[in-house]
Amino acid sequence: MISRRDFLGLSSLVALAPPFASFAENLAEPDYRIDIAPVTLDLSPRHRLKTTAYNGQVPGAVLRLRENQPVTIEVANHTDRPEVVHWHGLFTPPDLDGAIEEGTPAIEVGSTARYAFTPRPAGFRWYHTHTMAMNDLTRAQYSGQHGFLIIEPRNDPARYDQEFFLALHDWAGYLLANEDGAMNPSYAVSTINGKVMGFGEPLRVKQGQRILLHVLNSSPTEVHWVALAGHSLRVVALDGNPVPTPRTVPMLRVAPAERVCAVVEMNNPGVWVLGEVRKHVQALGMAVAVEYENRQDPARWEQPSDLIWNYQQFAATRPSDSSSDPPIAVPLVLESKFRGHGAMEAWTINGNSYPDTRIAPLIHGRRYRLQFINMSMDDHPLHLHRHSFELRALGAPLAAAGGAAPNDLRGIMKDVVLVDSQTRAEVEFTADNPGATLFHCHQQNHMDLGFMMLLHYA
Amino acid sequence: MPDRPASPWRRRVAVLLALACLPLLARAQANYEIQVYGAETVPPETLMVELHSNFTVEGEKETIDGMYPTNHQEHETIELTEGLNDWSELGFYIFTSEQDGHGVQWVGDHVRPRVRVPDSWGWPVGVSVSTEIGFQRSAYSTDTWTWEIRPIIDKSVGRWYFAVNPALERTLHGPDVEQGWGFAPSIKISYDFTRVVSGGIEWYADYGAIGNIAPVHNQQQQVFVVTDLNVSPVWEINIGIGIGATSATDHLIVKAILGRRFDWGRHSPVD
Repeated sequence: MISRRDFLGLSSLVALAPPFASFAENLAEPDYRIDIAPVTLDLSPRHRLKTTAYNGQVPGAVLRLRENQPVTIEVANHTDRPEVVHWHGLFTPPDLDGAIEEGTPAIEVGSTARYAFTPRPAGFRWYHTHTMAMNDLTRAQYSGQHGFLIIEPRNDPARYDQEFFLALHDWAGYLLANEDGAMNPSYAVSTINGKVMGFGEPLRVKQGQRILLHVLNSSPTEVHWVALAGHSLRVVALDGNPVPTPRTVPMLRVAPAERVCAVVEMNNPGVWVLGEVRKHVQALGMAVAVEYENRQDPARWEQPSDLIWNYQQFAATRPSDSSSDPPIAVPLVLESKFRGHGAMEAWTINGNSYPDTRIAPLIHGRRYRLQFINMSMDDHPLHLHRHSFELRALGAPLAAAGGAAPNDLRGIMKDVVLVDSQTRAEVEFTADNPGATLFHCHQQNHMDLGFMMLLHYA
Repeated sequence: MPDRPASPWRRRVAVLLALACLPLLARAQANYEIQVYGAETVPPETLMVELHSNFTVEGEKETIDGMYPTNHQEHETIELTEGLNDWSELGFYIFTSEQDGHGVQWVGDHVRPRVRVPDSWGWPVGVSVSTEIGFQRSAYSTDTWTWEIRPIIDKSVGRWYFAVNPALERTLHGPDVEQGWGFAPSIKISYDFTRVVSGGIEWYADYGAIGNIAPVHNQQQQVFVVTDLNVSPVWEINIGIGIGATSATDHLIVKAILGRRFDWGRHSPVD
């Protein structure tokens, strides 16, 4: 058996002897193993469903990696169809990123694959399946294939005594006609960490503690709003990246695939509900009790009367130096395509659906400004693989004069941004990670039906 | 504590009890409401107001058993439907008729409760059941009290829409009271040409009493070519022209349905 130290030593020979290094990688014990397999999940005493999960649990285990320290993760596919695991928010090469469209090989039925990469950047990331579901609302992101991934050091901007990882997810999907005349997924159950309110363990805290919440929205399609009754939340990071201006907010809005890190001062003893702000979603189960030590009271909820959130409040207060070369602008017009009142809509980027979506090849090292022009009636959580981007402008109504974005944001680095319906948003990124790069809407039904584009480097 | 979801088991029992309590049969509304029902019900805290306008271009020209001829009758029906919860509604009809020599006349009223299978049950088709009971003046229908039970099954598949209403009906007061149950099915098939414009066929039949099916010439058989205009989630527009294929059916009818939803509830973003 080769130890991890031996393996790392062997790996250092990569430049001299790539075939031998590859052989060594295959011999070494992996740092983590993930078994993708069917599982029967008890969401509550009344909700039992069959799904697919990582290592038999939902969410999957927290993977703790160290920045710039190579890691090997072995993934075995025990399901009846090919799978792939996407390392969301990491700067991985395209053949390991976990998107088949970029060139990552699928893990065939009954096979095992090894993902060996150097994790970066530091922060709260996650891993999940990156397959298609189409009309089957039990597969792909509709299933339980998601888990937390932390790359240390996390550059935590605040001290904390205890941390909790919370995954928001929706289950038992069915298609329902919506107001814009097409079918959309709706859900019978919503959970935090795979359990409805009252069925899972409470979050146990002590008075005077500062807790750090890592909130992930792993829902296939739904935006969620979360509050902790009796407490405020100080947002310190978005998508794992520290924000320039941490703010204390009454609630979090977390779009599909987004992550929010928030610090909470536990200064109001009792038993409180941390849950979805919207009544009908919390009624489906999306809540968990937060229990102070030695308190057994019934969990209390304080219903907010409004939904409050914007990205802008976390931006840098002073614009940074803008003397560098202007970025290359890439307008992307996002539209739906009607397929009948009995079907989900298809999606286009600049008039085409994947795989016919394309833009000019990226030039390595250049700065790009993606201009999202959302003509549709839906909000879209847009995700760029293998890169982070900086939010530059948000929320400009398309009807505004000239379509110009009204704000000039700086410093918020993300890999997912929710672009509201009928608005324009702009982000910038540097093309510094060559290789095929997928851009898509993170709503499973949208990416299934054409809302993807592969960016290539020149 | 947060709001807790209603027990699915309790909801199922409630729906099944409601179905079991439905009255048995009703008589068709002839040419006052010409519509194949979809399974969806009006949402709670919402009032749907519909105006059904039907003009008989070519119909019965003689007075029979004291009943006015249908030829050139203009029927205006106001239908008010209030959503009770996410699986039931209550409808109310005011039937009127206008005709040369008779002026504008009130014809009658019906009430129509309806329940449906909630979406969250995940059934592959939409299913609901309505029952309708009401009165109409003898000058417009010799059967003055009628009762209808209408199962409704529908399904949207891509651009296609299918709906079947195998309605059963009976007379409670009038000459046909001894006939018992009658069978009056209707079917709709339509296709979405665009997000706004759909077109299709609606077929309405009345075979007479179950167990004593009427001869073909005494059956009612109507086929309408229709279009639905989906201009807005709050508006409903259906226009059609239909022909009657038997001597017992009005031969040519033009129909239109104009509906508007009024959301009267106080909704906040967190509801």
